[in-house]
Amino acid sequence: MSSSQYSYIFKYIIVGDMGVGKSCLLHQFTEQKFTADCPHTIGVEFGTRIIEVSGKKIKLQIWDTAGQERFRAVTRSYYRGAAGALMVYDITRRSSYNHLSSWLSDTRNLTNPGTVIYLIGNKLDMESNRDVSYEEAKQFADENGLMFLEASAKTGEYVEDAFLKTAQIIYECIQDGRLDLNAADSGVQQKILQCETNPNVEKDKSCMQC
Amino acid sequence: MDVEDVLGDVVTMEDLKKFEKEYHNQLTTGTVSQETKFHYAWCLVRSNYPADIRKGLILLEQLIKHEASDDDAKRNYLYYLALGNSRIKEYSTALQFIKAFLHMQPENIQAQNLLATIQKKMESDAHKGMAVAGALALGLSAVVGIGFALSKSLKK
Repeated sequence: MSSSQYSYIFKYIIVGDMGVGKSCLLHQFTEQKFTADCPHTIGVEFGTRIIEVSGKKIKLQIWDTAGQERFRAVTRSYYRGAAGALMVYDITRRSSYNHLSSWLSDTRNLTNPGTVIYLIGNKLDMESNRDVSYEEAKQFADENGLMFLEASAKTGEYVEDAFLKTAQIIYECIQDGRLDLNAADSGVQQKILQCETNPNVEKDKSCMQC
Repeated sequence: MDVEDVLGDVVTMEDLKKFEKEYHNQLTTGTVSQETKFHYAWCLVRSNYPADIRKGLILLEQLIKHEASDDDAKRNYLYYLALGNSRIKEYSTALQFIKAFLHMQPENIQAQNLLATIQKKMESDAHKGMAVAGALALGLSAVVGIGFALSKSLKK
C-alpha cells in the first residue's frame, strides 16, 4: 500500500570526508536517532523517507556514501543520477572543510548540471570547538552557487531543513521545467497514482522516466 | 529507480566491466591487490546474474580467509558476503555472515539494518513458498479428484 502512495521519487547522495557525520545525519533524518561514535560506513548505506512538498508526497531515496578512501573508486558510481547532493563537512575540523573543493569537483563531474547541491556544516552542537566560521563557509557556498546551512545530527537542529529544502528546490525545478523528467539520470521518477488516473492502470506502474 | 532496500542496489554494466578489466589486468601482470579484488567483488555481488554474485562471493571468501589485514577489512568482507548471499536467496548463510559481523560490532546500525532486511525477505519468501505449496496441493487434489471420478465412471 504505502509503496505506491507517493507522486515522485528523488534520489539523493551524501558525500564528504570520513567522520563528518554523514550517516548520523541520515539516521537522524530517517529514524530520528543519534548514535555517538558511529562506526564508519561500509561502501554505501541506504535510507528512505516519504516527505511532503506543496501537498505532494515524495519518496526520498538516500545513498549515504562511505568517506573512507578505500571505497571511493566504487562510491563514485552512486553519484550518477542524483537529483540532490548533500555535501557535508565538520565545522570543528578544518581539514574536512579544506577538502570540499575535491568533493565538489567529483559531484559536479559525476552528476547532472541540474543536480541541487546543498553544503552542510555538521556538528553545530560543538560550537566551542568551531574551526570554520559560518561566514567563511557561506562565502564558499555563494562563490560556487551552493545552498548552505549548519546543522547538528546530534541534536537534530536544522537536519530536516537540509533534506526538505533540497527537495523543495528540486520540486520547483520540475514545476518550472528546469528539470527535464525525460532526461536520462535526472534522479527523479514520477509515479502514476491509481487514485489520480485511470483505475485500470496498474498500481505500481510508473512512467519509467529514469 | 525505485529501490526498496540495500539488496535492490544493482551495479551498472559499465561499472562491472570497468572493475573487471582492472582485475584482469592485474591478474595477467602478476599479483592482484586486495583493493582491486574487493572493488571487483563488490560490483559482482550487486549484479543481476546469480553466476556473477557467486563469483563475487568466492573472491570475498578468498579475501577474508587469506588477505584481511585488520578487523575493519574483515567487517567489510563479512558485510558483502551477507549481502551477496541474500541476493541469491541463500538466507541462512547470509545470516551467519551478518551475525558474525554483529558479534564483532553489535552496535553497528548498518549491519543491524541488513540483518532486519534479510529477516524480512526470509519471511516474505516463506509466505510465497507456502502459497506455492498451497496451490500445488490444490492442483494435486484436483488431479486426484478427477482420477477418482474417472475410476468411478469406468467402474460403471
